Amino acid sequence: MSRIDNPAQVVEFVRTAHESRSPFEIVSGGTRRAVGKPLGDLPLLDVSSLSGIVKYEPEELILTAAPATPLTEIHAVLATKGQRLGFDPADWSQLLGSNGVATLGGAASCDASGSGRLRHGPARDSLLGFQAVNGLGETFRGGSKVVKNVTGFDLPKLICGAYGTLSVLTELTFRVYPRPQFFAVLCLSDVTPEVGFAHLRKIAHSALEPAGLAYLPGSMMADVGEGAALIKLEGASQPLEEKIAMAHGLLGNAAARFDGDPFSVIGCGEKFADIAGDIWRVMIAPSDAPRVAKELNAKHWLGDLAGGLLWLAAPPSDAARIRAIAAVAQGQAMLLRASPESRGRLGLFAPQQPALAALNRAVKAAFDPLSLFNPGRL
Amino acid sequence: MLLPPTDSTIVARRAEIVAALKVIVPDGVVADPSGLATFDADALSAYHQTPLVCVLPSDRHQVSEILKYAGEHGVPIVPRGAGTSLSGGALPREDGILIGMGRMKRIIEIDYENGCVVVEPGVTNLNITKAVEANGFYYAPDPSSQVACTIGGNVAENSGGLHCLKYGLTTNNLLGVTMVLPGGEIVTLGGKCGAQGGLDILGLVTGSEGLLGVVVEVVVKILRKPPVTRTLLAAFNSVPAAGACVAAIIADGVVPAAMEFMDRRAAEAIEDYNAPGYPKGAEGILIIDADGVEADVSHAVARVTAIVAECGGTTVEATDEKQRARIWSGRKAAFAAMGRLAPDMLCMDGSIPRGALPLVMVEMEKLSQQYGLGFCNVFHAGDGNLHPLIIFDVMKEGEFERAEAFGADILRLCVKVGGVLTGEHGVGIEKRDLMTDMFTTADLEQQGRVKCAFDTQGLFNPGKVFPTLSACVEQGHIHVHGAQLPHPHLPRY
Repeated sequence: MSRIDNPAQVVEFVRTAHESRSPFEIVSGGTRRAVGKPLGDLPLLDVSSLSGIVKYEPEELILTAAPATPLTEIHAVLATKGQRLGFDPADWSQLLGSNGVATLGGAASCDASGSGRLRHGPARDSLLGFQAVNGLGETFRGGSKVVKNVTGFDLPKLICGAYGTLSVLTELTFRVYPRPQFFAVLCLSDVTPEVGFAHLRKIAHSALEPAGLAYLPGSMMADVGEGAALIKLEGASQPLEEKIAMAHGLLGNAAARFDGDPFSVIGCGEKFADIAGDIWRVMIAPSDAPRVAKELNAKHWLGDLAGGLLWLAAPPSDAARIRAIAAVAQGQAMLLRASPESRGRLGLFAPQQPALAALNRAVKAAFDPLSLFNPGRL
Repeated sequence: MLLPPTDSTIVARRAEIVAALKVIVPDGVVADPSGLATFDADALSAYHQTPLVCVLPSDRHQVSEILKYAGEHGVPIVPRGAGTSLSGGALPREDGILIGMGRMKRIIEIDYENGCVVVEPGVTNLNITKAVEANGFYYAPDPSSQVACTIGGNVAENSGGLHCLKYGLTTNNLLGVTMVLPGGEIVTLGGKCGAQGGLDILGLVTGSEGLLGVVVEVVVKILRKPPVTRTLLAAFNSVPAAGACVAAIIADGVVPAAMEFMDRRAAEAIEDYNAPGYPKGAEGILIIDADGVEADVSHAVARVTAIVAECGGTTVEATDEKQRARIWSGRKAAFAAMGRLAPDMLCMDGSIPRGALPLVMVEMEKLSQQYGLGFCNVFHAGDGNLHPLIIFDVMKEGEFERAEAFGADILRLCVKVGGVLTGEHGVGIEKRDLMTDMFTTADLEQQGRVKCAFDTQGLFNPGKVFPTLSACVEQGHIHVHGAQLPHPHLPRY
């Protein structure tokens, strides 16, 4: 394992790797190493020293930090000014059984966007710019440090969800958002998936700007009968009360106030941490959620993002069936937790159409022609 | 001309190329001089170039066949929506096929259950909203040309508008596109599920200014129209006070739907032009919209009013829809109003950190004196997007060149304070030669390799966005003569 202390050493390391054509795995907190195709016994580049907030400008809604900065540190600093990250980064440590420290760069690279992405979008919607080292050992930047920019290609979008296959990040700039002072969660109990998801979509398409919309069947939550629709609303105190009243109106006054915030657990997949089997995340059009959930027929499942994201646990033998159901629904089934053998065989996502797969390979090669970075993980 | 040199061997094959396109699109090839004249420029009208030929496909298969032909025969392609680009993105080439997407204007599906609309690229921005507004929905990005500009063009330019701070740019309001790649392959990126199962190619393609392919279908998100919108007019006796107020509002946690700044010169010109009732004598004016549910809006209005007072300003609230419209009509007429002060003007489009506004204002004043040309400032203050308007007279010798040099220096100033060359108009041909002021060689080479991943032959919109060695002068900006912009019926703000 090679440990580096500054971006200049990253350049040196990559140049050496380039010369000797030696691929390697990029690691910082290490909490997400068990996602995607296993990389085998590649050498490790430990970037965990690239940590710390570089600049935080609350009145500009901008935060720049080194990639290995712990999410806890980011959250704490933003909280001092009543702000937060827009993509509600999800810490998968518990789900994946890791003891590491979840970092900003890891969350962005894996697009680990939580339930709160409902309001401000996934990581790609708030990553404004970055600095990185490409596979030629060159330092380059993409994007900028202002909230509105259309100058050149929007490379920050590519970085989110690339699983470290395009570059070694050395700095990230995010747009941040005000954190509303208060939140409330409403719970509509003993409803079927059809009824529950219909209510969630009603709230999603209202002017209430919800911060969380999930359906949990009775198998995943105690004392809710057949299942529960959970609705998270935010605001200053008086506006929040009025929003709650409006939501009650839309839900037919059948919802109850729920103590605490179940979405922090839902968004991280922690509900599945102690459940055996492979863990899948299936992205679909929200209105297909009740039908697809029924077809998937899993005992342990839930629907986040008003139905746009189904989480489920399934035995390894179900993989082909799950991928087929997702394909018919024109969705994407992501294999988040599974044995190395399954992950190697099934990949993180189903194979893309040939032209799109070729384009993905060409874009990867545009950054990393020798495929040095996390080769094959995505 | 700034474009790479014309390939005369392609021009010599014109008859053959026209004939081949007529086989693909029998009723949609424009090859006669008068027909082609319609397509010889976009809204950056300082530049004209008659295309080799213009083709108007009706479906994705025709687009695919055209791109396949272009690839096999090495003919450049310039995509065009409605031609409203302010940066010359759709400027044709003498040796290139102009592919106009205006015929593909079907709304394919409106899906309220999933809050999205599936459209062909030639549908105008405003027509998406019109298709869903009866049900209380709208499409959020609202570029000033929204009555004419197409959604395909919006995807190409990653268009913004007045409401970006709260609702984002085009890229934040897209779920998917289907596009034809150079060579003719058709790929679908994302869709109603909003996921791509690989790299975020959708995000890369959005705002790529026609350099990576041609979009043939778009899935956009639609939002519930906010039930309440209220508008405040705030006046300050200094520009720094107005700037500080913008920062204080943002820092307080209020996210206005729109927050526009104008300086005294702009406000007075507008007041003389259509008398929206702006406060007299103020050095800086902010127009602030708050939208959402009643309670949120009341809270925001109360906070903004208090913060403006703390910053030494005064507020007036529009009492009804009519007054709201009047306040905004003034802001939206800024270009036209300034056009009365001088025969010509250039509109710039830099973005800066909001905190740099006072410094940038002082520096721009110095540049104005240095170049001996006047200017005024309108500014999407919420997101730091400056639109300085430089006024000059093209009939006076050397003024056009001075105005361009002044504009380039303003953009360099934006970059110097940590900002960017363009916040929403795109690089196109206009700012291409300033890219080296913002990006290093390694940055630009990295972007160039991404371009090559799509377009190995370099046939797509050559000469746009990225500087080339053949470049000779810094050019461009919106050139307005006699207060007439290209597309004079379109508001520009």
